[in-house]
Amino acid sequence: MSKLKVEARDFNLYYGDFQALKNINFQAEPNTITAFIGPSGCGKSTFLRSFNRMNDLIVGVRTTGETTIDGVNVYDKSINVDELRKQVGMVFQKPNPFPKSIFENVAYGLRVNGVKDKTFIEEKVVSSLKQAALWEEVKDKLKKSALAISGGQQQRLCIARALAISPSIILMDEPASALDPISTAKIEDLVYELKKDYTIIIVTHNMQQAGRVSDRTAFFYMGDLVECDDTTTIFTNPKNIQTQNYITGRFG
Amino acid sequence: MSHLNTELERLKEDTIEMWSLVISQLERAKLAIENFDDNLVNEIGANEKRVDAFELKLDMDCENILALFNPVANDLRFVLSVLKINYNLERIGDYAKGISRCIKQTKEPFSDEVLRETHIISMFEVALDMLKCTLESFENETNQQAITVFSKDEYLDQINREANKAISDIIKKDIDKAEDTLQLLSFIRKLERVGDQTQNIAEEIVFYLEAKVLKHKKNKTL
Repeated sequence: MSKLKVEARDFNLYYGDFQALKNINFQAEPNTITAFIGPSGCGKSTFLRSFNRMNDLIVGVRTTGETTIDGVNVYDKSINVDELRKQVGMVFQKPNPFPKSIFENVAYGLRVNGVKDKTFIEEKVVSSLKQAALWEEVKDKLKKSALAISGGQQQRLCIARALAISPSIILMDEPASALDPISTAKIEDLVYELKKDYTIIIVTHNMQQAGRVSDRTAFFYMGDLVECDDTTTIFTNPKNIQTQNYITGRFG
Repeated sequence: MSHLNTELERLKEDTIEMWSLVISQLERAKLAIENFDDNLVNEIGANEKRVDAFELKLDMDCENILALFNPVANDLRFVLSVLKINYNLERIGDYAKGISRCIKQTKEPFSDEVLRETHIISMFEVALDMLKCTLESFENETNQQAITVFSKDEYLDQINREANKAISDIIKKDIDKAEDTLQLLSFIRKLERVGDQTQNIAEEIVFYLEAKVLKHKKNKTL
């Protein structure tokens, strides 16, 4: 077994008195795609946001146990959260480009991190846009507003923006749920391509999407990680009856 | 009940109906040999068209469910099993029809003695029992009945292996009836194939219920 990229050990998360995640144990190897599925409120997005400590922004959040990246506990006191978020990129449900040009959106992360080398920034913007499969569509309008391109293109721009700061993990929270089928297919193809260079965790409500893009699928229910297995196993022969009932649409 | 559940339930009902029709075709073939009954032979011919129509309908229903509902897990295994069971049932229907054609070409009824020596009737009984066991398993969604067919099929295989000698012995006794007697060999071969197809069906039922693949395994225990 190769070295684990991401791991959770006996991880609990509380919003005040409410326990949102219950004793989660989870592992993901490098260069794999894991899909998190489960009904709304099951804890899958909360768990996703634990890897880059996005939950820190919510008042009253408390955690026990560990979530580790490359073996380092991200909740350790010595962790610099800004540095952590450089390593763990995130893409959200709704495309959220900044009201800036396409170029500046991708360059933003580099600039706020103090990069001044213009050539380096240019090269990084181009390579990130190419990696996000957007370059051919925007290469002639890099100075145009990012808000002027389509929703699907905006989402790929957000992925390019995340890639520009060279993370090793990409978290995606329903990245295609606001997109049409063509744009969704492009995002899915892109996710599949990105696996070569990144470890990806994707939250999705779309069962077929989980089946199409992921290597592993984790089913969450009421704060528990009910079952995590190879995606083909989950969708053909899940071990847990709750998983079966959920993926076959019998509850949730 | 969800839309998918309704569709799956309907698919199951139609499969059971086809199964019962195929069983009745094989029962008619048995009676037609025992009673040398031309009417039964004609009935088999007429019903064969219904079997074929069922096959097309079930194929189309499976295709539609796969395309429209994207079933997964046990639902997916159910639809995949029905697709294959459907094919196996149609083939069994073909064997019943094939037997009826052979009866039509036979000039005289077979004597009780010949039928006993060739074990034709007991082959029919075992094959029918196997088919009924699998149907019961499919209806009740339990393995117990289906897995009994693996040992029952050995009986059909054994008679098939000994058929050449049995038939040649009968021909030697009454060379004038050689042509009719050779039809018996054809019945045996077909019934042996019915056994194989029914085994395939049992394997599909186990795949649906247990997600276990028994195909091409010598040891069919779960």
